[in-house]
Parts: sequence; structure tokens; C-alpha cells
Amino acid sequence: MNDLISPIIKKYKSIILILLLLIVQAYFTLTLPEYTADIVNIGVANADINYVYDIGIKMIAITVLATISAILVSFFSIRFSSGYSRDLRKMIFPKALQFSNLELNDISKSSLITRTVIDVSQIQMFIEELLTVIIFAPILGIGGIMKSLELGTSLSWIIVLIFVVIIILMIPLFKKALPYLGKFQEITDRINGNAREILIGMPVIKTFVRQDYEERKFDKVNSEYHETHINAYRIILLFTPMLSLHLSLMTVGIIFFGSFQIESGDLLIGDLLAFIQYATQIVTSFIMVSTVFTIMPDVTVSIRRVNEIFKTEVSIVDGEIDAVNTENPVIEFRNVDFKYPNSENNILTNINFKLEPGKTVGIIGGIGSGKSTILNLIPRLQDPTGGEILFAGENIKNYKLSTLRENMSLTPQKAHLFKGTVKSNMTIIDKNASDDEINKALKRANVNFIDGLDDEVVQGGANFSDSQKQRLSIARSLLKKCNFYLFDDCFTALDKNTEKIIKNNLKDLEGASILIVSQRISTIKDADEIIVLDDGKIIDSGTHDKLIESCNFYREIVNSQSDTLKDGI
Amino acid sequence: MTSNREKMGLKRIVKNVLRLMKDHELKFILTGICAILSVLFTVISPLLLGDAINILIEGASNIINHTGTLDFVGLVKLLTIAATLYFISNVVSYLQTYYLVKTTSDIIYSIRKRIINKVMQMPMPSVDENQRGAVLSMLTNSVNVLEDALTSSFVEITTKLITIIGTLIMMITINALLTVTIVGVVLLSSALIAIVSKFSQKYFTKRLYAQGGTTGQIEEIFSSQEVIRTINYENQITADFNDNVDEWYSHEWKSRFLSSLNTPLTSLNSNLGYVAIAVLGSIFVLQGSMTIGRILSFFEYLKNFTDPIETLTDIMPHLQAGIASAERIFEFLEMEDEDNPSKNELEKFENEITFDNISFGYTENERIIDNFSLTVKKGEKIAIIGEKGSGKTTLIQLLTRLYDVDSGEIKIDGININEYDKNSLRSFMGIILQEIWLFSDTIEENIRYGNLEATENEVIASSHKANSDKFIRQLPEGYDSILNEDGDNISHGQRQLITIARAIISNKEILILDDATSNVDTRTELLIHESLDELMENKTSFIITHRLSTIRNADKIVVIGKGKVIEQGTHEELLAKKGYYYNTLKTQENI
Repeated sequence: MNDLISPIIKKYKSIILILLLLIVQAYFTLTLPEYTADIVNIGVANADINYVYDIGIKMIAITVLATISAILVSFFSIRFSSGYSRDLRKMIFPKALQFSNLELNDISKSSLITRTVIDVSQIQMFIEELLTVIIFAPILGIGGIMKSLELGTSLSWIIVLIFVVIIILMIPLFKKALPYLGKFQEITDRINGNAREILIGMPVIKTFVRQDYEERKFDKVNSEYHETHINAYRIILLFTPMLSLHLSLMTVGIIFFGSFQIESGDLLIGDLLAFIQYATQIVTSFIMVSTVFTIMPDVTVSIRRVNEIFKTEVSIVDGEIDAVNTENPVIEFRNVDFKYPNSENNILTNINFKLEPGKTVGIIGGIGSGKSTILNLIPRLQDPTGGEILFAGENIKNYKLSTLRENMSLTPQKAHLFKGTVKSNMTIIDKNASDDEINKALKRANVNFIDGLDDEVVQGGANFSDSQKQRLSIARSLLKKCNFYLFDDCFTALDKNTEKIIKNNLKDLEGASILIVSQRISTIKDADEIIVLDDGKIIDSGTHDKLIESCNFYREIVNSQSDTLKDGI
Repeated sequence: MTSNREKMGLKRIVKNVLRLMKDHELKFILTGICAILSVLFTVISPLLLGDAINILIEGASNIINHTGTLDFVGLVKLLTIAATLYFISNVVSYLQTYYLVKTTSDIIYSIRKRIINKVMQMPMPSVDENQRGAVLSMLTNSVNVLEDALTSSFVEITTKLITIIGTLIMMITINALLTVTIVGVVLLSSALIAIVSKFSQKYFTKRLYAQGGTTGQIEEIFSSQEVIRTINYENQITADFNDNVDEWYSHEWKSRFLSSLNTPLTSLNSNLGYVAIAVLGSIFVLQGSMTIGRILSFFEYLKNFTDPIETLTDIMPHLQAGIASAERIFEFLEMEDEDNPSKNELEKFENEITFDNISFGYTENERIIDNFSLTVKKGEKIAIIGEKGSGKTTLIQLLTRLYDVDSGEIKIDGININEYDKNSLRSFMGIILQEIWLFSDTIEENIRYGNLEATENEVIASSHKANSDKFIRQLPEGYDSILNEDGDNISHGQRQLITIARAIISNKEILILDDATSNVDTRTELLIHESLDELMENKTSFIITHRLSTIRNADKIVVIGKGKVIEQGTHEELLAKKGYYYNTLKTQENI
């Protein structure tokens, strides 16, 4: 919660200013009825038209002043609330950027996006409402009570009474309405979900001839929405007439009880009129506060969701060491285990292997065998839950993250390009890379489809095919000069020929270690060591020729991927 | 020209909305009566309050001049009547809004129902991948906006207008000059509001733009977090983000501030009216043309007059959005249904399916299928192979009549499939697609989708045949496990096995497997193929694939390229030909 409040506290001066302006606004608003009283009590009673004009001009001046102060309140509170949302976003963003899969398990990426954009906006609206409407009500209320005491009537109890009555009647109504408000969102989501399901499944629905079935299913949600809507509004709609009835009854009551004081000469007619105005203003402004209850459920959810981001402890943090011992560039897995929290099964169990200079290691296994996880552990996108990974003899957790990651180049399974140009996508790696260097990297990755380095890259690289994106992504990785190149199944999107060319070019990376993860035999077949992974365990390792002999599982994969052309002929 | 077209649109929209309301005439009449009654009572009550004040004044002067006392009986009588009227008016106004909300939610319910019904009836090109987003946003956003417009705007506009008119009439009868002044003041500040809101529009657009840009950036970044981290790009990207957020902020507060000016300006509005009543009213009292009590009446009328105007300006944007949504919805509902003129039922499939020289393109200028011919005997397993974009999937869409051929004929037992009712044709076919579609319900219900009458035992039996029984039983909830959208509780391959079980239970004559195993690893693929073999037993089947290893047993392998048959024959025949099939196999073998 502290993180959410700190930007507010930092700007306490703005808040004080807004409060002062609200008091000024309330003062002017409450002065008007006083003048009405004067007009009626003095102007009309003495038939003094000039006095009436005088007061009239003063009233106009006050009206204008009240408007100006209201505008100022708007100005400062909107700047405040917009500024708050800006600050909040700037705080959320770097924090969320540090989330690893571990944290993303609890808060998904799409949820992070909604939290940063929509939830923050929701909170911003609430603060705006808070500053302009909700705080204003009690200020106006207190001022109004002071004013009506000044008038010397003993009628203020009517206001209090009406309040008590309204609150007593409203609370059970709110209690009844609130669950419906929460339910709306849930049912709307279900309607949307059902509709999406239908649209995606259209070919299946049509071929199974299940149109009626689907319509009936949709009708169920639709009816539920319909019913909830009507039931909710049956209650919600009661609010307005009930409040307006009480306001009117209050006026009637004031006139009735005021009549005794008029009779006894304690109260002048003008004062009675003024009091009616005060009472109405006070009660109306408090009714405005009740709008809080309608936005409250949404805002509480938003606050909780944003706060969750701040509360989440980032599991992967910097170590101390900021330099690598270059004499021993070896990465070693020692008895590494990995599993997700709350999960019973290990993703990886007892993984041991080494990446040595000039050697290529291949990892092969089916979908879900844990191949990519091994790779993600090296740049610490995730941390092992057991065992340790050593880099130049030191546990990788002891390095600063940036130092560790500077020393390796990972090509992800799904190529990602950033909006900009081909060049800007490359220079992300190395700001000072020359065009020659970039061209060399592009050539190595067989990027032969661009006109030049200034070719545009649209968001997500959508103007390139999957294979082209992958090649650009590989080029980016190759531009980096380092000791370790890690490829996460990134050759699958390439045709065999391109794959061959690129793999051939990898031989230029003299002295570096290469780790290739794949489910395609052809990709890793030439590796110095092939690790066969099944269900998170290394079941065998060695060269292709050795594994063909020793490993049944490996043979099965080979067989499933090679056709039996020889047998056929 | 443009405005002319817009008007035509509006007219059609209004007509459509009115047609929707026709079924609810009675409720609307009831609503109307309630509205008029409620306004009537609201408008009369201030007069009574004014009269009460007059009694007080008279009483006060009587007492001072010792000519009498305050007329308590008269006062109480007036106040009682006023209180009663207020009560009735609010009860009636509740009933009015309630009826309207009930009617509009009835309307929205039936609109949703009609849209879904429409979706079901529409031809595939109107609901395929390219249209999906548009249809979905209409079903959700547009309907919500329309509902919002109908419930909040439509209800309010009618009642507020009646209130304004009623109040205006009452004010004029009391004092025309004062009324004109008030209306003048209100118009003046309304003009002011209009100017400001026009001004704010500019910033509003900029703000939307900045907001969209930042949102896009956030999406891009969060979805590529791993990449960003591994290339140590965090600091740079955070700086970019902060720049964007700063820009967003500068437009955000400006546009919000300008549009927030509405509130102080409307209250300026009512305060100026208040001053006018106090000052001018007093002058009229001095001139003897009005009583002091009427000043109070006017105060009440002012509220009744400015509040609805304020509401009306607030709901204008809702109304505009509502009209736009209504337009989209009605346009959608008027789109053409899937053409299905024939009611002839396909009774049985006995001999063969023939593709007779067919051609097809999704758009006019392309030819995905080009003079394609093929004959398939009942009980044959046909493998269709070819590169991406060669027209394999299109062929299936034509056979199932999701799309219709441009020329040529597809025949079942010699009769053009266009002669049959589409649904009856489709009920002969079972399909397994690359894009797995299961809905969020239990596994049992998902399998039963293939045959709604199937018993639990039949579901389990077919699941058994599909090799899915074992893993389903291992799930904590077994067959009652709910499949969620993310599908993280079971693997992709397992999901495909469920669709196979679904196809087995549906027991169709003709089976279509469209790249059913392309998203699973090769070992899982072998397992799935076991299940598929079970499924295809004694059926006529079409197997589309790009993996050649699994189709050797097909009765016929058809290689297509650019919509044409390149070669066909059995595995052995094609190998002997040493053509495309042979060469492709050779490269796949090359490991």
C-alpha cells in the first residue's frame, strides 16, 4: 500500500492547495442564500429597489468567484490525479519488467498490461472524484451547518433527521445492490467468452451441425444476464426517487416547523428561504458522495491489483560480482532441479552438463520435456530450485544480472523484433556496431531479403514472415561478441536449406560454446555432445552415432522423423 | 452527400429501433403515462410550497399588525397535499424508469439472441478469421454501448424533455418575464459549454492517440520481456516508456480539464438563474406582480429546469455512441444468411465422392483451386499433401461447403452436393483440425458434443478407442475436469486426442483430418496416429498433412500444388515415379 500512497504524500502541497480552494468554493456557494435572505428581509420589507440591485450585483460577483474557484479546483485536482497515474505507471513499469516466469505465473502478462493501463486509469478517476466531489461534501456540510446556526433557527435538526432516515433506508438497499454490481462484470465476461468460443469454433460447429445447441447454450448466459440486469435495476432505480422524495419532504418539514418560529417572530421569511437553500445544498452534496459506493467495488479491485504488483517480490535479483574471469569461460550445470511453485512435478531433475569453449552441445526432447527451461536458466530468466549453475567457477547467482547476460547471446524460440528499422533492431545489442559488423551478422544469419539497413520494421515485425523474423533475430544474436551462443529451437521456422547455411556459418564463431535446443534431429545431429531429455531428465548423452547405438529413445525420435525411404525402395 | 447518407442511416436506425420496441408497446404506453403523471405532480408541488410561504407571510404581518394569526389549518392542509403529491410523483417516476429498464433489457436480450442466431446462419467468409474480431467487438462492445444508450439516454431524454416543457409552462404562467430571463441565462452558459467542449475535442483526440501509443508499447514490451532482459535492454526501454507516459500525461490532463469544465459551468448556470430569481423576483414582488411565495416556487422550478438540461448534455455522447453502435448492429443483422436453398436430405453415401474439374478462389483474382479433379471410392483413405498454400485445406472447406466452388462440381454418388441441404451434408462428415477447438466445459461434455444422445458409457468407450481414457482418468476430476481456455491443465496432444474421441463418438461416414498432428512433437504424433487409425477404420477419410511419415498406408496419396493435382498413387507407385513425393521424402530422410 505504501507504494501506492507515496506519490500522493510527495505532493502534499497540491493537496493542501486543493483543500483551501474547496473551502473558498464552499464559502462562496454558501454566501448566496444569505444575500437572498437580505434581499427579502431588508430590500423587499423596506421596498428599497436600490438595495435589491446592490445585493444583486454582489451576488453575481460571488457567483463568478464561486465558478472561478471551482474551475481552479478542477484544474489542480485533474493535474494531480493525472500526474498520479503517470507516476504510478512509471513505478509499475520497471518493477513489472523484472518479473520472471515465476512471478508471471501469478500475474499473467496480459493482466500486467491491463493493470498498467486500465486499473491505473480507474484509480486516477477515483482520485479525481475524491478531490472534486467527495471531499467537497463534508466541507460544504460543515459550512452549511455553521451558516444555518448563524441564521439563528433551531431547524438544523431536520437536516440531521433526514440524513439519518436516508442512511437507514439506503444501507440495506446498497447491501442488496452491491452483489449484483460485482456480478455484472462476471456475466459480461462469460457472454464475451461464449461468443468468442462460438466464433472460433465456427467450422467445427457447422460441420457437427450444432448451431441450435450453441444457440441454446448462449441463451442460458444471455438470460442470466437479462435477469441479473432487471433484478439489479429493480433496486438501483429506487435510489433517485427515494432521495428526491426525502429532499422534498425536508422542504415541507422546514416550512411546517419554521412556521412556529415565524409566528413567534424568531425567524424572518427571507431567513427561512435561505435555510431551505442551505439544507438542499448540504443534503445534495452528501448524496453526491453516495456515487462513491457505485465506483467503489471497481476501484477496490483496481487498487488491489496494482498493489499486488508492488507487493510481489522479484525472485531474480542482482548478485555482487560485476566481472567475469575470462580464463575459464565454462558454464556447468550441477545437479540442477527445477519446478514451479505449487506444482508437484519437477520440470527438470538432476541436470548435469558442461558448455566448454569451442564445443557445441545439442539438447533434444519432445514438447514439454524441459528443453527450453534449461536454456532459460542460463541467463537467469528463471532460477533453479535445486543444484547450481556455475559460470567461470562461480554460481551465476553471484553475478550482477547485466554482467551475466552481457556474456551470452540467447536467441529465443519466438523471434521478437522491435518497431523501428533493421538497423535499430541490431544496434540494441551494441550501440556502436558499425554497418560492416551488422552486415556481417546479417549475412551469417542468411538475411538476404532486405534492401538495406534502414528497412522498416513494424510492430512485432509483422512485415516479415516467420522465417525472416527468425533470421533477423538470429542475426541480432550473432552480432553480439561473447563466449556463449544459446539457440532455443529457433531453427524450426526455417527451411532445411537455410538452416544448413546458417549452421555452417556458426562455425565462424571460433572458440565460443554453442548450445542448441531442438526437437528436430537434423538440427543437433552434428553437435559434439547431444543431450537426450525426456520428462525433465537426461536419459542419455553423447554423439549422434553413439546415441543411435545406445539410446532407444533417441532411435525412436530418429525413426519418427526419418521416413522409411530405404525400406520402401 | 455525406450528410445526406448519414440522415438516411439515421432514419433506418430509428425505424429499426422502433420496430424493436413494437413488441413492447404496452410497457411503453405504461411508461409514458407514468412519466406524464410524475412530471405533472413535480410541477404542481412548488406552487403549493409557494402558497404555504404566502400564508406564513400573511400570518407574520397579521401578527405584527395584531389583525389576526397564522392560518395553521390552511398551512397544514397545503403542506399535506404537497407531501402527498411528492410521494406519488416519486413512486410513479420509479415505476416509469423501472418499466423502461425492463423493456430495454428485454430488447438487448433479444438483440444478443438475434446476433448469435445470425452468426450461426452466416456463410463462413463472413465469420472467418478475418472477420472474427469485428463480429466479436460488435457482440460485446456495440451491444453494451447500445444498452447503455437505451437505458440511460433513451429513458432520460424522454422524461427530462417532458420535465423541461412542463416546468417551462408553469414558470410562464407565473411570470413570463422572469422565465425569459432564466431561459436566457441558461442558453448563454450552454453556449459557453458547447464552445469549451469543442475546444477539448482536439486534446481528446491527442490523448487517445498518446494512450494508444503507450498501450501498444506496453503490450510489445511485456510480451517480449525475456528478450529484453537477455539483451540488457531494460534501461533504454524504461526511458522510452517514461517519455511516452509523459506525453500521455500532458494531453491527458488538458483534455480532462477542459471536459471537466462542464460541471462548474453548469453550476454557474444554475447560480446565475438563482440570482436572477432572487433579484428580479424581489423587484416583481415590490411592483406587486408576484408574491414572495412564488420566489420559492421559482427556486424549485429552476432546479427542475437546469438539472434535466445538465443531464441531457451529459448523455449526448452516450446517445451518439449508441446510434453508431445501433447502426453497426442493424447492418450486421441485415447481412446475408448462408445460402441454403435445398431441403433435400442426403440419406446415404454408398459409392464415391467425385471432384469434377473444380476451381475456387477466396477473392475474385486468385485461384486457390484450379481445375482440380479426383475420385474417391467409399472406404478409401486419401492422403492429400502439398506445400503451404497449395490449397489442401481449401479443398476440405469446399467439400464441407463452408465455401462453395466457383466452377465445376463436387458429387456424392453422382449427385452435386449443392443439391443437398448443407446441414444434412455436413452431418455425414467428421473433422479433426489443426486448430483444436474444445469449449470450456467438462471433458465428458466435450466428447459428447459429437453425439448429444451418447450415454456416459459410450463417451468412455470412444475415449478409450482414442487413447485418451488413460490420461483423463489420471486427472483429479477425471471426465468431469473442466477444460479452460488456456488449456494449461492438459497438453496440446491430449487435447487433440479428445477431439478424436469426439469424432469417434459422432461415427460419421466421411472423416477429414486437417493437419491434425502438426503442433505436437513427433513421438506424440505416433501415439495420435494410433488413435486416428482406430477412428478411420471402415471410414472414407481425407488426411491432410505435411508430414509424410504417417501416410504410407493410405490407399491413395494425392500431391497437390497451386490447386492442381501434381501426382497421385500409392506410396509405392509414387516412389517409383521419382517425382515430387520421392524428392520430398528424400530431403526429409536426409539427416
